[in-house]
Amino acid sequence: MLNINYPKIEKKEFPNLELNLVEPIKKLNLRGKNRDFFTKAGRILSIMLPIEPNTSATIKNISALWLSPDEWMIYGKDIDKNLKISLDSEISKLNLGSVTDISDQWLLINMKGKNVFEVLSKGSPFDINKFKNTKNVVVQTLLNHVDVILHHTDTNNVDLFVRKSFSEHLWLWINDSSSFL
Amino acid sequence: MFIINCPFCGERDQSEFSAGGEAHIVRPKQPTELSDDEWADFLFMRKNIKGIQFERWNHAHGCRKWFNVIRDTSNDKIHAVYKMGEKPPSI
Repeated sequence: MLNINYPKIEKKEFPNLELNLVEPIKKLNLRGKNRDFFTKAGRILSIMLPIEPNTSATIKNISALWLSPDEWMIYGKDIDKNLKISLDSEISKLNLGSVTDISDQWLLINMKGKNVFEVLSKGSPFDINKFKNTKNVVVQTLLNHVDVILHHTDTNNVDLFVRKSFSEHLWLWINDSSSFL
Repeated sequence: MFIINCPFCGERDQSEFSAGGEAHIVRPKQPTELSDDEWADFLFMRKNIKGIQFERWNHAHGCRKWFNVIRDTSNDKIHAVYKMGEKPPSI
């Protein structure tokens, strides 16, 4: 039977680094290409889906992350059942694109503090220097061989998404790496 | 190890990608009319050049898009990267 409980992730503090599980939080995957899809998604979410690679758009408590030329992740505290129903009826049912609830698939860990990028650069093949000076950048890469999505939300503040089944392993690795700062 | 310039995401480490073999192999229009040898030739036989080769790559740990790469297999130098469906640039 599917284990829907969150892994044992508790708030942790290290020198200049704070780790926190931000769950439960709604996450949606949007896929589509044509103009009607962009118009409807923009109107329902009150946010223009970013078309520039590796960027994001945030309005109030909803963020849209660019994942590929025809794929976005939407997440935030303001995503409720009605929003999902609107997206389903205006996009999915009209075959303009797809809307998938991925809230239980990905787990959001917030990392903040001056040492965030030190920890990330220990286990990622991505050049974190390209990422740390620009806000609202999104990167899909590997961290300790695990697929992650990194969203640089604010100065020294990163939202890290990891697949739930890998989350405990990655959490232990982040803790271990952080203890050597 | 080398850096690949994904046409969608930009420069990334090779470990984020997976190789998809030789590019521009056209599937026969009438497979049923082929002999077993011709079909096996299409399925399995590859040039495997030591030198400049046209290849397909997938950004598996990034945008998950497929694209083409012109790579020198003797020194891993990448001469060009272009999207699926585009004509290969002359090198």
